[in-house]
Amino acid sequence: MITFTFNGVELTAREGQSVAAALIAHNERITRLTRAAGKPRGIFCGIGVCFDCLIIIDGQPNQRSCITEVKAGMVVAVQDGA
Amino acid sequence: MELRHQVIVIGGGPAGLNAAKYAANAGCNVALLDSAPRLGGQYWRHTGIESDDQSRHHNFDQGSLLMDAIIANPRITIYPNTTIWSASVINGEVVLRYKDGAFITSRLILATGAYDRSLPFPGWDIPGVMTAGAAQSLLKGSGVIAGKRIVVAGSGPFLLPVAAGLSSHGGKVVGLIEAAGKFAWLPEILSLLQNPAKISEGLGYLLTLRKAKVEMRFKQAVISAHADSDGLLESITVANIDAEFHITSTYSINCDVAAIGWGFTPDTSMAGALGLKEEVAADGSVVVAVDENQRASSAHSELHIFAAGEITGIGGSALSLAEGAIAGLAAADSRTNLRDLKKIRRKARRFALTLQRVYPIALGWKSWLTPETIICRCEEVTHAAIQSAFTELDADDARSAKLMTRCGMGMCQGRICSRNVADLLDSPDADRIKGVYRPIISPITLGELAQDGLL
Ligand SMILES: Cc1cc2nc3c(=O)[nH]c(=O)nc-3n(C[C@H](O)[C@H](O)[C@H](O)COP(=O)(O)OP(=O)(O)OC[C@H]3O[C@@H](n4cnc5c(N)ncnc54)[C@H](O)[C@@H]3O)c2cc1C
Ligand code: FES
Repeated sequence: MITFTFNGVELTAREGQSVAAALIAHNERITRLTRAAGKPRGIFCGIGVCFDCLIIIDGQPNQRSCITEVKAGMVVAVQDGA
Repeated sequence: MELRHQVIVIGGGPAGLNAAKYAANAGCNVALLDSAPRLGGQYWRHTGIESDDQSRHHNFDQGSLLMDAIIANPRITIYPNTTIWSASVINGEVVLRYKDGAFITSRLILATGAYDRSLPFPGWDIPGVMTAGAAQSLLKGSGVIAGKRIVVAGSGPFLLPVAAGLSSHGGKVVGLIEAAGKFAWLPEILSLLQNPAKISEGLGYLLTLRKAKVEMRFKQAVISAHADSDGLLESITVANIDAEFHITSTYSINCDVAAIGWGFTPDTSMAGALGLKEEVAADGSVVVAVDENQRASSAHSELHIFAAGEITGIGGSALSLAEGAIAGLAAADSRTNLRDLKKIRRKARRFALTLQRVYPIALGWKSWLTPETIICRCEEVTHAAIQSAFTELDADDARSAKLMTRCGMGMCQGRICSRNVADLLDSPDADRIKGVYRPIISPITLGELAQDGLL
């Protein structure tokens, strides 16, 4: 087990899991809010094609949470707009 | 950094794995590239943790044998985590760019696979609505069940392994909703029986679903989704539909995940960027056109470019394997007799066409849309905006409608919406092919461009 944070809260994950999967395991489904309508979005295609699961990882926005592996100590946050 | 290889294979799924294996065994030095950290593609996606329960995978043994053989083969260099973001022909060679430089070759095998086909409906952007493949990849790749009350829906044989996988790993599947009729396969029984392995695989899934008491409903579809006060999926509206997909009556189901798949769409971006010939297949998808030896048609006749697997037409892993083997041997100029492989390919293609007849996607889904329904998820373009660009603003093709509304111009570059927009606008084949043209295959940041010396 490793730990990472999501919006400041510490969560556990298994190594090898995607960030999106690790979040869903804790029932966290919203990865970003849309630019125009501010609507919540989460994982959709699951394989890096649709860009709906964009999230901020270690300060970098626009990371696809479905194809990024979670790492110990990662700082993950919801992306507001984009 | 510039890397040269005799044969380069893009995509480490069933097609690319076999292509690399056969080309290497025929004596070539081969590079196998994939954007994922591990080989396997969609079919053999795995967590890479030795102790993990590999029963999540049908035929995983076959896959691990193939992957192990490739890893051990000294003629094959594997480049994981390597996304090709542009492909072009420069001085008679193919130049493939990735974040650290470029690969260069005159023998290329494309095996970039497919992604779930999605149909739009009101609420399909609510978190909790996802593709069937997404639920599958969460399970296979990360060992995570997508939700607490899951509905699997859409159409086609792929819904069976998804629902069976979820329910046999502790997931609660509250319904499997299939648009085709319960006996839609009956008229095709003779041709289905030609492929006993696939039929027994299907029966296995049905047995699992029965044991888990998963209710299967036919001639139904998810036509809208509804969010709770947190904006998360709370319920879906399911409709009884006719053969044209028109709604006859509706009811609702509470669920936190709706995993919906309408078959697959090939990702031919690389072929478009290289100017290879593409065509519209029987199921309406754009595919790479190939000859008997999986060779694609290029204006640069000195180049040997091949395509294998889902990008030449949706047909599943067995077809991808056969096409990969043929492409690998042909790319290596091998004199091996391809007759047996071609026979397997012919049979698998025939089976794929049969399945398409059993699970047709009718255009009546257009009647599920409201004016506010999002069509382009990236740019949040609604059905009404597309219609008005088309009628009032006189955009007479998908391309003009796209420029006027930004539909298809977001991060996914129309991968999710272009097929639906083409259907909404009744586009001719030529427009469908133009609609999947993406000069930049995968988005790249300005920083990465600068690093590559392009800025
Ligand atoms: C999400 C999903 C789940 C699926 N699960 C199953 C299943 O459980 N059972 C089943 O029978 N079928 C499944 N399928 C169907 C699947 O299409 C076939 O079974 C089979 O995997 C197709 O093989 P392929 O080699 O043609 O392509 P794929 O297996 O899709 O392999 C293509 C590979 O190309 C790589 N790639 C694509 N673009 C680039 C690029 N620009 N740069 C570098 N690499 C790139 C991808 O990362 C991928 O690994 C699934 C499909 C999807 C989309
Ligand atoms: S869910 Fe589609 S890119 Fe991550």
